[in-house]
Amino acid sequence: MGELKQYWFVIRELTGREIKRKYARSYLGILWSVLSPLLYMLVMTLVFSTMFKRNIQNFPLYYLTGYLFFNMYGQVSQSVMTVLVDNRNLLLRVKVPKNVFVLSRCYTAFINFLYSMMAYLPLLLLSGVKPKLTMILFPIDMILCLMFGLGVGYVLSILYVFFADIKYLYTVFLTMLLYLSAIFYPIEQVPNAMQMVIYNNPVYDYMLFARDCMVYGTWPTADLWMRIIIWGVASYLLGYLIFLRRENEVMQHI
Amino acid sequence: MADTQPVISIKNLTMRYRISTANVSGLKDYLIRKIKNQINYRELLALDDVSFDIQKGEVVGIIGTNGSGKSTLLKLISGAISPSSGEIEVDRRKIQLLTLGTGFDMELSGRENVYLNGSIIGYSKDFLDGHYDEIVEFAELQDFMEEKVKNYSSGMVSRLGFAIATAGDAAEILLLDEVLSVGDEFFRKKSLKRIKEMIHGGSTVVMVSHGMGTILDNCDRAVWIEKGKLRMDGDVKTVCAEYRKLGGQ
Repeated sequence: MGELKQYWFVIRELTGREIKRKYARSYLGILWSVLSPLLYMLVMTLVFSTMFKRNIQNFPLYYLTGYLFFNMYGQVSQSVMTVLVDNRNLLLRVKVPKNVFVLSRCYTAFINFLYSMMAYLPLLLLSGVKPKLTMILFPIDMILCLMFGLGVGYVLSILYVFFADIKYLYTVFLTMLLYLSAIFYPIEQVPNAMQMVIYNNPVYDYMLFARDCMVYGTWPTADLWMRIIIWGVASYLLGYLIFLRRENEVMQHI
Repeated sequence: MADTQPVISIKNLTMRYRISTANVSGLKDYLIRKIKNQINYRELLALDDVSFDIQKGEVVGIIGTNGSGKSTLLKLISGAISPSSGEIEVDRRKIQLLTLGTGFDMELSGRENVYLNGSIIGYSKDFLDGHYDEIVEFAELQDFMEEKVKNYSSGMVSRLGFAIATAGDAAEILLLDEVLSVGDEFFRKKSLKRIKEMIHGGSTVVMVSHGMGTILDNCDRAVWIEKGKLRMDGDVKTVCAEYRKLGGQ
């Protein structure tokens, strides 16, 4: 019990640091987590809504929902990637499992996501979406998406200790993933082969699920349910296992 | 002394590092060399079959030339890394490792770092709340705690690091890696006094230092490790004298 409390205390301290550092020199601070998705949405709507007007129902929300999930996935995986190297001095002295560092980055991304909700939820109501029962599925989607990103992050964090290049490769990969997520265009616009690729992109599944239950008020299909659960759980378990197996090697190298 | 249970018991401790002989600078380089089969590994025995016990209340200095495995030994005792073979029996919850790289976040204030660092090394929130003033006072940083650590001098940073690690009576086993040779002379005296108080209170201290003076002044026993092997273990004066002889050669 006392150990769990300590675990939580460390995660909170580390998360506090992440957030303070991130917004250290800005006036608005964490409010940027609310503002930046809104501004992105504005820009994207201005640029793309005329192009896909007929194909996408409620473009601003279509975009924003996807963007929030993509952003959360990107933030978790990318920030977890560098966590071991960033904290090398603390790693030697930490009393609780080293996993706290990873979890604190994950928690930071989660807090950011919750702040973005402050923009998202009012906007949802303002644009005429009625509260529906399907919305209760949203937290499930959120947690599974976090787990998926976390799993990928575990593996990347180990790789990053040995190859710093991964960071640059992964940034490019994320950009590619963004375009393969049908985040600002309707999926029907691209050729069939491309659609196949997008359908097999896990991040797209999480977006699709969120759009279904939040924007369009429909129950996600069984197939989609299965995909988000399998991707999330498998990625998390596999990543964590690899992380544990390589922990000692990392500590010797760092 | 022999019939009491030792606080730290080290048995046949061996630490093997696998070092790539080719100095690979990145992924591209690695792949190219891997394909060309140029990646060879060389084994480095950082510690080779080292065994000794440390009793409660002892102050043990670990000496040896650079790269002889002293810091590796401290890391192994603290549990930061696991040995290749052999074992260490010690209650890890009682250990406090103090090294020069304090792990402070330069962008945060002194106060925030006390809490961040304190939580990492195992203090609870209540403990930190209760001992905060004492830590600040010992580090002599009363007017600087809201200041960012990046504006501190290196002496101030190590003072704060030392004050946090030795706060309260928390540490029963204190591992010191070259920390008694930093800060100005006044603080050095003060920190030595704190260490001595802790020893009187029953703490066990293991210190690594290049300064023979520090070891001779503070320890009652010395362990000499040379190229990973235990060369000598015994009374501090005898071991240090032998060590000096080697240096004179």
